Amino acid sequence: MAGLSPGRYALRRLLVGVLQVFAVATAVFLLTEALPGDAAVALAGDNPDPARIEQIRRVMRLDQPLAERFADWLGGLFRFDLGVSLVSQRPVTAFLTDGLAPTMLLAALTLLVLVPVAVLLGVVAAVREGSPLDRAVTTVSVGLHAIPEFALAIVLVAVFGVQLRWLPPTAVGVGDNLLRQPAVLVLPLVVLLARPICSISRLVRAGMIEALHADYVRHARRLGLSPGRVRLRHALPNAVAAAVPQLAHTTDWLLGGVIVVEAVFVIPGLGTTLVDAVAARDLPVVQGLVVFFAVTTVLVNLVADIVSFRLSPRTEVVR
Amino acid sequence: MTRWLRWTAGIVLTGVPLLLAIAGPWLVDGSPTRKRAFSSGADHPLGTDFVGRDVWQQVLLGGRTVLLVALLATALAYVVAVPWGIAAALGRRRFVDELLMRPLDVVLALPSLLLLLLLATIAPSGSLTLVGIVALLNLPGLTRIVRAAALEIGSRPAVEAMRLQGEGWWRITVGYVARSMLRTLAADLGTRFTGALYLVASASFLGVGVPPDASDWAVMVDRNRPGLFVQPWAVIAPALLIVALSVGVNLLFDRVLAARSRSDLRGAAS
Repeated sequence: MAGLSPGRYALRRLLVGVLQVFAVATAVFLLTEALPGDAAVALAGDNPDPARIEQIRRVMRLDQPLAERFADWLGGLFRFDLGVSLVSQRPVTAFLTDGLAPTMLLAALTLLVLVPVAVLLGVVAAVREGSPLDRAVTTVSVGLHAIPEFALAIVLVAVFGVQLRWLPPTAVGVGDNLLRQPAVLVLPLVVLLARPICSISRLVRAGMIEALHADYVRHARRLGLSPGRVRLRHALPNAVAAAVPQLAHTTDWLLGGVIVVEAVFVIPGLGTTLVDAVAARDLPVVQGLVVFFAVTTVLVNLVADIVSFRLSPRTEVVR
Repeated sequence: MTRWLRWTAGIVLTGVPLLLAIAGPWLVDGSPTRKRAFSSGADHPLGTDFVGRDVWQQVLLGGRTVLLVALLATALAYVVAVPWGIAAALGRRRFVDELLMRPLDVVLALPSLLLLLLLATIAPSGSLTLVGIVALLNLPGLTRIVRAAALEIGSRPAVEAMRLQGEGWWRITVGYVARSMLRTLAADLGTRFTGALYLVASASFLGVGVPPDASDWAVMVDRNRPGLFVQPWAVIAPALLIVALSVGVNLLFDRVLAARSRSDLRGAAS
């Protein structure tokens, strides 16, 4: 995309993002229609007593025409009205606002630690390419990269929470303000960081190695600039630019990871809310949370694409 | 030396859980006896679980479903994605490409575990559902890889020559394009499989698509958590097996790819 100004690019990218959110909202709505047979009966699940079916039908207004319900669903999204829970009749938005704080705290802290640590590891490994340190970092990151969060979490809890008793094994009894007892956050953060640190540091390493072998870096060295300055001011920005889209992709993982980590450590966030709603087949709550997570994912990717466009406008970012 | 070490680590880490998962169900002798929950004793090397079943027996029984569901889901994803991607890349008209690829973007707009939970809410629970969902989640990424590979291969002179020679569409696409991308697909297989394993295990842990008392490593980790303080092995043993399997498979595929690119380099040099 030669000659595309950052502003135009941002606008185009924003349009795509809006379309994506619209598509997800539509798909999430239509899933109700995809339920086999009577949706209310299907959602009632194991205890299909007529009163409950009737109640589900009323709450989800299944007796009204499809087009009308769809218009209401989309209109509701704009007014931040996502319907009410099938189980407790509470508005879905109340679930969202309740669970938001712990989940956001976990995600924000993870990203805060992730970026510097991953970049540092990648750079150190790249500068000493081929050294034992580099090989150790690479091997560990290849291995750690694939571990499901729950398995890692439970092993860490067993070692540090139960055997050594250094850290609290769960967040039970802390309430929603996790910062009041920061020790609770250590294990969840370690678990959330394990996978993304591996993937990002590998990308930074690869980008850094490529940059260090590039002509402009060689040229800068010949000009007599100090090695540290060459690495930090010239090679590093290009290496990081390559990792930014992946960083955005990591948020996808992070959201998935948060769901599992909250379940393991009993943290009352959006993940726990979601898992409970899935178990209860509480479709409106699940739909609302999915739309919320989708908007977040689309937003993060949007920002990342615009940032990496600014960092290196030569390449159009295709996800 | 370190290379040898990494091969061994990969093989051992993959081999132990794999062996247990495949051969385990045949090694179980006798019907399950129920004892007190979370007890330990001489006849139970790893103690008993949350309903008093022998943990070692559950470990032997619990690998097969995880492994099978992940394998089937990976296979299904390839079976669907390869023709899909090739059709998108080699279609005569541009709109066919758009029509085939755009719907997949919707799947990509959502975190995979989230989409899995959403679909599991409305789908009937069961292992086959899980296979279908995990395959679907892998579809967009895989189809993109296939499409990109097919685009590159389709523009090679060899394809042009085949066309000029009047070879049929079938021979060109299946006989040449699909065969030429086998290497690209093989390179992707390792991450694809560990990704599927990750999703299947995480879903089972969250109680999606499996009965609550299933003999399944991931379910064992979840259900035996209350006994973590009294009888940790009921949780640790299956968790470690899952960790070993994911790490091992990843290391092994990484080694295979590294070895192959080395031999490629040697081949190019000579």
